[in-house]
Parts: sequence; C-alpha cells; structure tokens
Amino acid sequence: MSALQTFLLVVDHDKQEAKKIAERIAQDVESKKTTLIEVVQSLGEYLNDEDPILRGRAVSYLTAVIRALPPKFLSRQQIQVLTAFFCDRIEDAGAIAGLDTLQKLDRFNKPLAEEVAQALFGHFPDNQSRSQSQRFQVYQLLNELMSNYRAALHGMGDNSLTGIVDLMTGEKDPRNLMMVFSILKVVMVEWDVSNHVELLFDSVYNYFPITFRPPPNDPYGITAQDLKDRLQECIASTSLFAPHSIPALLDKLDSTSPNVKKDALNALIACISSYDPNTVSTHSITIWDALKFEILNAQEEFLSELSLQALGAITKRLSEGVTEVSDKLPLAQYLLPITRECNDQLREPQQKQAKPAQEILSAVSAASVVAFILVVQTMVPPLLTIYQEADGIAKQRALLETFSVLFDSAVTVFGEWTSREPEPAVENPLLEFKDQFSDIFGQALMGVIKEEVSIRVSALKGFLRLSTLRNYFQENEVGLFVQYLDEILLKEESVGRDDLKKEAIAALAEISKYKPRLIMDITFPAFVATLPDADDGTAPATYLTTLETLAQISIEKEIFDTLVRRLISKLTFLLQKEQPGSSAYPRAILLTILYVMSQRQMDQDHNIELYYDKIVVTLCRSVAATASGSAKNTILADASVLDVFGRLCNLIVRSLPRPEQDEVAQNIYTLFDDSFLIVPFSKSAPDNHQRTMIISTYLLAALPSDSATIPYTDTPESMSALLADLTERCCSTAGLEPSTHLALLRHLALITNKYLPKPSLPLATAQLDTLLPSDQPIPTTTVLTTSQIKTIFWLSKALILRLAPATTQILTSLLHLLSSPDAQTSTAASRSFSLLLGPDTVLSPTNGANIRLLSKQRIFTTLIPLISQKIREVNTSSTPESSSQTPPHIKPAHLTALSGILSTIPPELVMPELPTLLPLLLQSLDLQTPSGEDSVRAATLETLAVIIRENGVRVIDECGHVQSLVLRLLKTTQYSPGAITSANTPRLRVDALKCLFLLAQTPAAAGDAPAIAKAGKLSPLLPVKNQVLRGLRMVLDDPKRDVRKAAVDARGAWLRGVDDAPDEED
Amino acid sequence: MSSEIQNVNPTILNAADLPTRLRTLESRKSHSIESALFAGTLFSPGDSIDLPIGSYSSAGSDSEGDLLEEPIDEQEIYDLISTISDPEHPISLGALAVVSLPDISIKQTLPEVHESPLRTVTVLITPTITHCSLATVIGLGVRVRLEQSLPPRFRIDARIKEGTHSTGDEVNKQLADKERVAAALENGTLMGVIAKMLETCQ
Repeated sequence: MSALQTFLLVVDHDKQEAKKIAERIAQDVESKKTTLIEVVQSLGEYLNDEDPILRGRAVSYLTAVIRALPPKFLSRQQIQVLTAFFCDRIEDAGAIAGLDTLQKLDRFNKPLAEEVAQALFGHFPDNQSRSQSQRFQVYQLLNELMSNYRAALHGMGDNSLTGIVDLMTGEKDPRNLMMVFSILKVVMVEWDVSNHVELLFDSVYNYFPITFRPPPNDPYGITAQDLKDRLQECIASTSLFAPHSIPALLDKLDSTSPNVKKDALNALIACISSYDPNTVSTHSITIWDALKFEILNAQEEFLSELSLQALGAITKRLSEGVTEVSDKLPLAQYLLPITRECNDQLREPQQKQAKPAQEILSAVSAASVVAFILVVQTMVPPLLTIYQEADGIAKQRALLETFSVLFDSAVTVFGEWTSREPEPAVENPLLEFKDQFSDIFGQALMGVIKEEVSIRVSALKGFLRLSTLRNYFQENEVGLFVQYLDEILLKEESVGRDDLKKEAIAALAEISKYKPRLIMDITFPAFVATLPDADDGTAPATYLTTLETLAQISIEKEIFDTLVRRLISKLTFLLQKEQPGSSAYPRAILLTILYVMSQRQMDQDHNIELYYDKIVVTLCRSVAATASGSAKNTILADASVLDVFGRLCNLIVRSLPRPEQDEVAQNIYTLFDDSFLIVPFSKSAPDNHQRTMIISTYLLAALPSDSATIPYTDTPESMSALLADLTERCCSTAGLEPSTHLALLRHLALITNKYLPKPSLPLATAQLDTLLPSDQPIPTTTVLTTSQIKTIFWLSKALILRLAPATTQILTSLLHLLSSPDAQTSTAASRSFSLLLGPDTVLSPTNGANIRLLSKQRIFTTLIPLISQKIREVNTSSTPESSSQTPPHIKPAHLTALSGILSTIPPELVMPELPTLLPLLLQSLDLQTPSGEDSVRAATLETLAVIIRENGVRVIDECGHVQSLVLRLLKTTQYSPGAITSANTPRLRVDALKCLFLLAQTPAAAGDAPAIAKAGKLSPLLPVKNQVLRGLRMVLDDPKRDVRKAAVDARGAWLRGVDDAPDEED
Repeated sequence: MSSEIQNVNPTILNAADLPTRLRTLESRKSHSIESALFAGTLFSPGDSIDLPIGSYSSAGSDSEGDLLEEPIDEQEIYDLISTISDPEHPISLGALAVVSLPDISIKQTLPEVHESPLRTVTVLITPTITHCSLATVIGLGVRVRLEQSLPPRFRIDARIKEGTHSTGDEVNKQLADKERVAAALENGTLMGVIAKMLETCQ
C-alpha cells in the first residue's frame, strides 16, 4: 500500500500516525528520494473522486507533507504552483490549511496573497452553509493575510471590501465573530470606505445589541462583554458611520430593556470619543435632546450616569483646540440648549428635577475650561437673580448647592491651592462674581437664624470649596471664612446633632492643608486663649470641646508642632501649681497629645528626641518625685492620669532610635531618677510607689524584645527572682488600687511573654504551678482569691499566646478550676476565660508581644471538646436521683467560660464546630442569671448573630435546631416586669430580636444553590412563622423604644422574607 | 409606568431638615465628646481596668434607664411611615412632605375610660398634587405599615388631609371602609405595589 493510501485510511482516527506518514514523505522529498511533483501526481485519481470527503483527505495529505517540510525548502516557483493548485481546489478540505502554511513561508509574496484572497472571495458565496470550524479556517486565513500582506488586500480596494463583507454576512458563531469584527475594523479604519459606508455599517450593526450568553462551562471563554467591546470598536471606527450610527443608537434608547440602553449609551460614548469633532458637533444637539429625557426622568441610576458621561464627552471633544471663547463656537451652540434647560429646571431648585439639572451642569462644566467659562457666563447671572428673589430658605439653600456644583467644577478645571499641574492660561470666570459669592455665602452662613442648620451647612461647604480653589480668594478673604468657623465653634451653642460644628471642624482641617498660616494666626490663638489655667470646677468643662477641635485640625506638621509645644507648657505650668484643680484637665491635655501623635508617623518625626526629652524623661522624673512626696501637687499620683501618660510614653518610646531605647530600658524602674526607690524587691513599697509600676509597665511594653539592658533579666536566677517577686505582689495585693494591680499583672505577663527566653520557660510554668491547686482528677477544695485567679489567668495568657510547650496542660488546669466545689472560685475563674484571648492594649502585637498565629485555633480546639464533654456529664448526672453529686454552679461556670472564649474567637474558627456548639449555646440562653448579670446570654446572642449573618438559617437547620432556637429567642424578647431572676434587659431583648431579624433576612439558600433547587424547598422557618409573628406583636408594645424598633424590623423581615407555600396555580 | 407619572417634578425636602429624635442628653454630652474623639484609636482606661466581664455587664446608669418607660409618641409613628417610598418616585414620603410630624396625632380611643390602654393614631396624608390617583395606595401603604408595626391596642386612622385632594372624601371613605381595605389587601397586584413601597422602610 502506498503512503498515500495508508494516510487516507488513518487520517480520521489517528492523527499522530497520519502526521508521521507525512513527515516520512517530507523527509523523502527533502533527501530527493522522491519529488514534490510525484507526490502531487500520486494524488491523481483521488482528486477527481465523486466523494468530497475523499477529495478533501487527498488534499490534506499534500498539506500535511508541505507542513512537514522545512520552511526554506520550497522554491518560489514551487510555492507558486502549489498556491495555484490549492486555490484551484480551495473548496476541498485541507486546501485552506495548505494555503495557510504556504503564506507563512518567506518566499510567499504579494501577488500570491492577492491570488489567494481572490480565490477566497470567488469560491465561497455559500460560506455560511459550511461548518463552524471550516468557516473559522477561512477567517483565520483571511486574518493571517490581513496581518502579513495587508498591502495586497488594501490594493484590491472595493474588491476586498465587498469580498470580506460577503464572506462574513450571516455569521453567528461568537468565536468567528470575534475574528470577523477585528478583520472588519481594519477595513473600516484603513480602506477607503466612502462608497460602501452603509454596507459596512450594516454588516456590523446588525449584531447590535449583543444578546449572547455563553453556555455554562464554555471552553472558549468568550463573554458577551468581549463581543460588545469589539462590536463597539467597529461602530466607533470611522466618522463616516455617524449619519447611520448615531440615529440608530439613539433609537435604541427607546428600548424597554435597561441593558440594551446601557449598550447603546456605551457605544455612543465610544463614538463620541473616536469620531472627529466636526462630526460630533453635527450630531451634538440631537444627542442632547435624546439624553435629556434619560437624565431628567432617570429610569436607572447607571443610565443617567452614562448619559451624563456622554454629555461630558461631547463637551470635551468640542473643546479640543478652542482657545478663544465666543458665541459662534460649535461648543457654544451645543451648550446653549443645555444651559437653557438647566435654567428652566433650576427656577424651582428645591424640586425633584433640579437635582438632575445640577448633575448636567456639573458634567458639562467640568469637561473643559472653555465649557466652564461658557456655562458660568450663561448660568451664574440668572441664578443670582433667582437667589435675590427667592422667597424661602429651602429655595435659597437649593441654589447655594447649585453654586457649589459649579465650584466643584471650578476646582476640577482650575485646581486647588496645592495642585501641581500648570494653571490654565485663561482667567477664572468666577472671579467676576467673587464679592457677590462672598456676600451670599457669608450671609447664609452667619446671617440666618442659628437653628437653620441645613442652609448654613450648605453655605459652609460652598465657602470651603471657594477657599480651596486655586488663586481665587485672597489670603484675608479665606481668613474671614476661618474667623466665621472659629466663631461657630467657640461662641455658638450646639444645635441638634451638631452637624454645623462637625462640618466647621472638618473645614478647618481642610483649610489647614492649604493655608496652615491662617489656622496658626487666627484659629490657634483664639482657641488656646479659651483654655483655662486649671479646671477649678466652677465653669462647665468647655476645654474638652476646645481640645477636641484643636486635635482634629492639627494635621499639618507645623500646626502639630505648635499644638504639642503649647500643651506641654500648659501641663508644666499645671504641675507647678499648688492647687491644680481637677485631674481631668491634665488628663485631657495628655489625651490630646496622645491623639495627635497617634495620628502621625512618629518614627519619621525629626522632633522625636525632643519629645522624648520633654515628655518622657521630664515627666517620668516628676512622677518619681510625686511618688516620693517631693512634688508641688498630686496630679501625677492620679491613676487615670498616669495611665494616659503611660500610653503616651509607650507611643514615643516605640518610635525612638535604639540608643535612646536602651537608655529607657535601664530606667524603667528608676524613672530616670537615680535616687528613686524602685518597686521590685522592695519589701514595703507604699501605694504611691507601687503606682509608678503603671509607667514602668508601659515603658517595658514599648521596648524591643531583644533589649539587653532591662534590669533583672540578664540571668535565669535574677529572672526567676523577678517573676517570683511580681507574682507575689500580684497575689497578695488585697489593699492595692485596681489600676496598680492591673499594671503589675501586665508587667508579669510582659516579662513572661516577651522577655523570657525559650529555655527559661519552665521558670514561668513553675510559678504557675505554685499558684494552681495540685492537679488531681477530683477537684480540691482549695479556695482561691480573686487576685490569685487573675494572676493565674494573666500568667497563663502570657504563656499560651506564645504557645509554650505546656499549653494543653495549662488549659486543662484552668478548666479544673471551674469544677471547684467553691462557687466563688469557680465563678471568678469562669469569667476570666475571656481574658485569655481577648485583645489587650499592652500585651499587643503593636508592642511586639509574642502572639503565635495559631494560638486562637489551638486554644479553641482544645477547650471546646472538654467543655462540651463536661456539660454533657453534668446534664446526665443531674437527674433527680443523683442531683447531689454536682453543685449547681458548675454548669453555668462552664457556659460562662465558653461564652468568654467565643467572644474572642473569629467566626471562621467557630463555624466548623457548630454542631457541637449549638446545643451549648442554646443551653446558655436558658441560663438563669440574676438580673444585671446578663453577660453570658449577651455574648451568646452576639455569637449567634454572627453565625446567622454568615451562614443564614441553613446551618442551623442542618443541625436540626431551628425550632428550639426560635423559641428561646422569642422567650428572650419578652418584657417581664418585676421578675428578679432572668429578667431580660432591654439590651438582651434587642439582641434577641436582631437574631430573629437576621434569621428571616439572610437568604435561606445562601446563594450557592441554583434557583430551581431553592424554589422546590420550603423555608425551614415556615413552621414557626405564625408563632413568631404572634409573639413579636406583643413585643411591639415594649416600654423601650429601641426594643420596639428592633421588633418592627424583625417582624417586617418575617412578614417579607419567610414565604408561605408557593402558589398552587403554577 | 413612566408614561403614567402624574407629578413629574414634586418639591423635595432636604433629608437633614426632616424631624428626628435627638438623643443627646445634657448629662451624657461631656462624656460623648471625649469618647467620640478618642474611641477610634485608643481604649478609655476604664475599660481595661475592669476585668473582661466589664464590657457586657450593664453599668449603673443603664439600669437606671431601664426603669424609664418610653411611650410610643408621634415622632415614633413618623419614623415608621416617613421612610415608605412614594409609588411614583424613589423618594420617601417624608421627603415629599406627604406625611409630616404635625399631621400625626395619638389620642385615647375611649377618653371617658381613663385607664384604658387603647389608643387611636390619626395620620393625615397630603398628596403632592390634588388630583393624585395614587392617594388611596399611599393611604393603604401607611395603614399596612402601621398595622404591621404597632401593638394590637392601637387603632389606625389614615386619611387625606382636608382640602388637599379633589376627591378627598371619596378616598377617605375607601380608606375607612374595613371591608374594602381587606378586599384590597387580597389583591396581589396592589399588595405588590405596597410591598415595594415598604421595602425602603428601615
């Protein structure tokens, strides 16, 4: 059998084999064993066969052989002959592929390309009756010719144009269309199409709008948007289309489908941006007339937005190259009907259509400088007249907002004070009206009665825009505005929600970016002057508001520096006074410094060492002096002042360079005062001394974990002694103030967590063991004090967060505490569980605490099974005959511990454990607690709310607890006056209602199930719907307004969201 | 729908000008300023000194407030109905001034029986134009919203304000007729419109 015959046999089912055969023949040709002519001749009889399939295979054979030949093998003459041959047989399968191979060769040339194109156009009048893949080959060949021999096709002129259009007319396949559109676009852009505009336009516009929707799992990945984009490029390709495309697209706006309108508008925008300005100008007014309706009677928000974009785009195009403003400009002609319409609509500016009119003004005036000038010239004078004649504040206010729209455009066009780009050469047309605006806005801001907040807010915003507009107001004019703002903030009583004051503060902060000098010269002295020397309790504490405002406007560096300097001197002065008054004032000053510093990148502040010296070192010495009793007053003996000061020190020390940090490390206990009696290891430190541990703790927290100069941390022995000393202080501090105690606890935790090297961990574990009752299966009767329990938990927290080797053991011991027969021990321990993972301001990642990523997960997965098991034990053993075995406090203690852990765990960790957790949570809701101690139920409801919000009712349904959950929630919503135990506080009632609301609100199928599957299934809430609606009806009469509001929302959600059985008719 | 719009360009009130309840009490003010300024970045020291339970246990001031009863008042009724959207525009009835605070009143249903808990809520509706055929639908929407949101001891009386509608008496008769209201609520299309109006209620 000849190679050809074998090829014919295998080509259909074994492509590899066929390829091999062809390669073999190609080698033969190459090595001159046979010639190409012989190969062609061997096709002989098959070429004239009746059967098109056989003919096709024969041609494919030749193609395969040619493809296997090296690219340079064929001579020009051979290529010519083969091209002629393939063109002749072009309708046979394989010929197109053969031509495609040939045209890739170097020796292929322009005349041949023309010949191929001719053949394509000549032989495929019936292209669309062929299969998709065959058509695809044809387009691919055409596409290749287009990119490699475009000149040849271009030279054919109209011939190729009509040829291509004929070839693709009627094409429906998206893959082919993608190629067709890109071929046609080349023709539209590069060919002379003037004789065939309509033909070409129709050939693509027929496809508008694209309604294609890719089948599921479409392997080709062509989206409707891809097609839309390419089609849009074709429509927008040449201005010659405009007479056809623009009316046609505007017609599509009459469609009822918002999506079609959207496509039409997008295409329109593309046309506007690509057609030449003259063409755009011709159609500009027609387009405006059509789009006007879309904007004024907006059907959908996005349609009106696109329409506005189109208007803006036209304005931009018409402004191209325009330097001189005149009425004769096409731009002026276009803007005339627009401004006229806006003028009409804005005559009654508080009505509904004034809003779209403002948007139109905004879109056209922000498009270019020239357009802005034209709009201002035609709009501002009539608007000013309307304003003068306006008969009501609402109308004036609406006009002020209209002006503000123009001011916004002015900022877009002319820039702000800080803008970098060059300023437009023309003068800002608003300058002409400067005095009028200044009067109107000043009058509206300061001249109307104080209660008219909304007009004043509008005036303030407009004034602010003008103040930030580049080269508009003079320095003194902005200064006037700043004075108005100062007056509002300092002199006026607050009205309602204080919107005006909030805006005023925001405005001052904004102005401080552009004109910091004005703030420094006007606002700063005025505000600082109102700060008292001391809070003597006689006047209401207005300094809080003043400090708050100062803090918020001190964003710019210059202002920030001044503020901090002024506040430090205020504070220093206070510390020198014999009678400094309330300590709330120094505390507020410190808080303000803390706030402004926390808003900045302090580690990049070059004044940081100055602050270190002035604040940390100086004030720490004062703290030491106060503790030793040698200070003028006791401000720095106040725990709350010390706490704020500590946080401030912490912030500053964290940002210090390393040498200073080392200096701090040496001084954490001495507080930079060598004569100070340090707290650790001093047997009888008085309270005043112990209190300085607040500062020591914050200083310690700020230091890097590899600090080598911290006292008592150099050897394991001294470390162990320090731990023992701190533990002892923590445990035996019955008489200590709570804040000092907390500082000591944190100090212990910091040392353990951050500074104890890994090999020394047993030191801390040993300390913990001395505190814990010996670990036995039967709980001991040891009674622990609250201080001891706190110490145990803080020490455990420090160890667990770094996932010390003993973590599991520690957690088990902590759980044993819950089973203590002593109710007090058990309850106190249960409440401390939320402390283990709860965020802490001192032992925090910002302070470099050693918190391992998996610690939360580890603790959760260790504790939950143990708690769950214990509760099950308690439940089974508390049957009547054996109830004496477990004391009644054990179960609540475990549930409290659980709620404490849950409140500190991210929801994604909770979800997998849901089947175990839900029963426990439901039991927590049943917990009978004395009124006022609703923490467990509150925490449970919060957890439930998160679960429901994330997953909907589905997960609860899967665990089979819908009914019991809903009943318990309903019970918690009830108002029971006079009940002593388990009274539902308003907060509990609101939280329970929120859960009910979420149950009905969250889509039951969570979106992942297809609609069909959802429709068949009834909501799992349906069985309880009536009960819930009836129950909630009573809650609507709750004495508390917030509860009623939540009940209304929940009831509304159940009425709307929980559907009855689907209608029977379908 | 768009071709049937009867009042294309109604006057709109600014949202900030609508009546709202002011919750800021004088006593809380000084505290709220400090927490407003510093809450975002830092904890106030009171929180951290208390052991964990602190954040959930109700503080003293709260339980004091617990005893204080807050009866249902006109503002609360207003809050319930002012967020209903107009059937013609995506704008709330409050912003269109279709309902307004002075036009809501709550009275004892039986003034002679002093301790009776029954109350009657009267809501007067002001259509945006005097010939608005949707006034009935608006009235029905207000009624449905209040019936869903008020306890059973409240009687609801929603009607058109005198002199604001050309066929006001006619509409009022419809709205007051229990059977016609009940029949209307069985009408699927009508309920669809009302459900859409109520969607925006928050």
